[in-house]
Amino acid sequence: MTDCGCEKAKAELEEYLHNELRGDDATDIREHLQHCEDCSSEHLIGVTLTEVMQRACKESAPEDLKNLVLAKIRTVQSAH
Amino acid sequence: MGVERRARSPLDDGVSTGSSYPDDTTSDDPGPQPDTSSELGSLFEAQALPYMDQLYGAALRMTRNPADAQDLVQETFAKAYAGFSRFQQGSNLVGWLYRILTNTFINAYRKNQRAPYQSGLDELEDWQLGGAESFTSSTTRSAEAEAIDHLPDSAVKDALQAIPEDFRVAVYFADVEGFSYQEIADIMKTPIGTVMSRLHRGRRMLKELLTDYAHERGLSAVQTSRSVK
Repeated sequence: MTDCGCEKAKAELEEYLHNELRGDDATDIREHLQHCEDCSSEHLIGVTLTEVMQRACKESAPEDLKNLVLAKIRTVQSAH
Repeated sequence: MGVERRARSPLDDGVSTGSSYPDDTTSDDPGPQPDTSSELGSLFEAQALPYMDQLYGAALRMTRNPADAQDLVQETFAKAYAGFSRFQQGSNLVGWLYRILTNTFINAYRKNQRAPYQSGLDELEDWQLGGAESFTSSTTRSAEAEAIDHLPDSAVKDALQAIPEDFRVAVYFADVEGFSYQEIADIMKTPIGTVMSRLHRGRRMLKELLTDYAHERGLSAVQTSRSVK
């Protein structure tokens, strides 16, 4: 097995975690991460960053807003 | 960088070409379209309104305050509804709504808050230059992931608010919405290389802000509470 090395892994880590790498490139990174503690901790931080953002950014639109938008649409509709 | 990215363009539905909303939703073959305005209205209510929470979340991150976010969402739905008869059924509705949202935001809100960092930054590629990954040993680094994971939501939102708008929006689209780089490029109308650069730089800034914040709260506290579990 040939390791792609830290340089390639670090350059492509972000694309890897956003699922933007094609098969071979993704495999290279995945294999490197299994053997490199440094890069895999970097990857863990990256993944954690995504997870905490998803968690923190869950929002519900206020009821008032929902009603307002709906009312507007129905007004436009009935005007036709 | 010699990396072949997945070539996918889910927004390739006739929406990606024009320049302004809602006129760029026209298409030579609109497919089956609802006939009456009441039919159209019910279709819109059923298909588009369920995305309101999601769009509101994005609007909040863009405008950084609830009042503007609500105005932005209202305006987005008004425009989307006005253009809905020209929306091609079966194509990417979420992408279409996000493009309207992003456009409306840029045109209406950004004018009022012109920030000095908007242009110029994109040309730099400092994400390649190292930095965040160079500071400590990997043991400490996994403790950092743990510490970031334990940060309160408010700290994460504050950090997002603190980074430049173009970076913030790109990061939000990639990480929270899970859009592909190509989808983000279509929504933000920028080349994919710009999207990548904004993402790398935005995420780097976030990492630094959150790592600093975690350090202030004390990494050791996290390590202790973890070993107790």
